[in-house]
Amino acid sequence: MNTIAPSKNSPMIALTGVHKSYGNYEVLKGIDAEVARGEVVVICGPSGSGKSTLIRTVNRLEEIGSGSISCDGNNIHQPMPAKELNRLRSRIGFVFQSFNLFPHLSAIDNIAMSPMRVKGLQRDVAYAKATKLLERVGLADKANAFPAQLSGGQQQRVAIARALAMEPPVMLFDEPTSALDPEMVGEVLSVMKGLAADGMTMMCVTHEMGFARDVADRVWFIDQGQIVESARPEDFFSRPQTQRAQRFLSELRH
Amino acid sequence: MISDIIAIIRDYWLLLLIGQYPNGPLGGLAATLLLSILAIAFAFPVSIALALARLSNSPFLNWPVTALVYFTRGVPLLMLILWGYFLVPLVTGANVPSFLTMLVTLVVYQGAFLSEVVRGGIVALGHGQMEASRALGHSYLGAMRYVILPQALYNVIPSIISVFVATIKDTTLGYVINVPDLTFAASQINNQLLTQPFQVFFILAAVYYVICWSLSRVAIVTERRITRKRAGTASQATAKSLKLAALTDQPS
Ligand SMILES: Nc1ncnc2c1ncn2[C@@H]1O[C@H](COP(=O)(O)OP(=O)(O)OP(=O)(O)O)[C@@H](O)[C@H]1O
Ligand SMILES: [Mg+2]
Repeated sequence: MNTIAPSKNSPMIALTGVHKSYGNYEVLKGIDAEVARGEVVVICGPSGSGKSTLIRTVNRLEEIGSGSISCDGNNIHQPMPAKELNRLRSRIGFVFQSFNLFPHLSAIDNIAMSPMRVKGLQRDVAYAKATKLLERVGLADKANAFPAQLSGGQQQRVAIARALAMEPPVMLFDEPTSALDPEMVGEVLSVMKGLAADGMTMMCVTHEMGFARDVADRVWFIDQGQIVESARPEDFFSRPQTQRAQRFLSELRH
Repeated sequence: MISDIIAIIRDYWLLLLIGQYPNGPLGGLAATLLLSILAIAFAFPVSIALALARLSNSPFLNWPVTALVYFTRGVPLLMLILWGYFLVPLVTGANVPSFLTMLVTLVVYQGAFLSEVVRGGIVALGHGQMEASRALGHSYLGAMRYVILPQALYNVIPSIISVFVATIKDTTLGYVINVPDLTFAASQINNQLLTQPFQVFFILAAVYYVICWSLSRVAIVTERRITRKRAGTASQATAKSLKLAALTDQPS
């Protein structure tokens, strides 16, 4: 409906002058940035700087005060019927820090449910696809396990598969490994690396600097509601331009 | 004493079972069960609708329903029954059977009570589940139906059963507007015998106890079955089954 046929060169995500306040407190103070198709952007910054708020505005889990956000050629924050917004959301994968799997459904039901209920996929098609996705995240043997029977790392991998089941052209991650025990961080990151290698456009809030170094095309450093630095990871880590970024990195290393 | 009770049952079992039927309206235990089942069957969906209305952002849905819930919870059921009894014929001009008046009153009253239980279950889930559903593209109502309600209702099964049991017990109040139920039949018998009120009402109490007890058994078994299906959450569920013991608890 609102789709301007997205050309290959147009950015996947474009944020223009995005402002957002909670009451008098301005969380996002004018964000201008783009994520190209197939690009992996890692967002980092101190606690409370607005990283979660920013990433949640992209699929409109948060409203914005002013500015605009486009994703895959769609203007996300313009007035539109609820149906249209649901359709747009279904095309933006989102992975939460706290997994938010549906605890009353088995792993495979978690993955197959939304394609059936939202997109009207046939049951057998949805389950065939869910089985493939479980294989892709290395959990083929856990299809019938319930979330409570899975480790944190396994739950997060199911959550990624659940998001992928909607076949979104872009995936957003909000600290996907922060709630995990250290020994489980690797398994989730390697699934994400696989995604990046397959050409998925990704926007990822994380403090896993190893991941940023290996996988990201670009790092956005956010402080106090602004993107203070946007740089290639090798530049950002070796030559941060601002004092704030230098301080952040030195604190992260300790 | 026991022989009296047996004699009463022997002489009046048909009256206790179906009232004056087929020479009069269906009554006795049959009417009590029918009234209870219908009241619960209607109050349950009504309560979900009321809960969703109270949770909605629209003042047109939110306000009247909040007022209704506060009103019904603050007024004795007996008063609602009497009001219904005298008001409904005035408003409709028709002679509504007392059974129907009682049914509607119970549905409104228990529906309002139950809606608070359901709402509590939904609120207790927190935002995460709704957010995850919306992020996948589910509509608000779709998320409610497939994600929120299945969990919220399961979590409040003990309270739901309390309301169901209360509903069954409350059908006895239909007596004051001559609903021909089991209580009505028992008091008819008592009026005929005159000398054995304890025995007659003992039978009445025993029957209600068995009905309510069976319902709570069904609930416990159902809950265990769901819990087993969602294995891994077992420890949580045993705590809930224990709460089922407190059947007299009315949610307030
Ligand atoms: N619903 C809300 N109401 C009011 N203030 C909020 C709300 N959500 C977030 N904030 C505030 O907005 C600021 C940015 O929050 P946000 O969650 O985006 O930070 P963050 O960068 O993700 O931090 P963290 O690293 O701790 O996750 C914080 O100061 C927070 O207290
Ligand atoms: Mg955050």
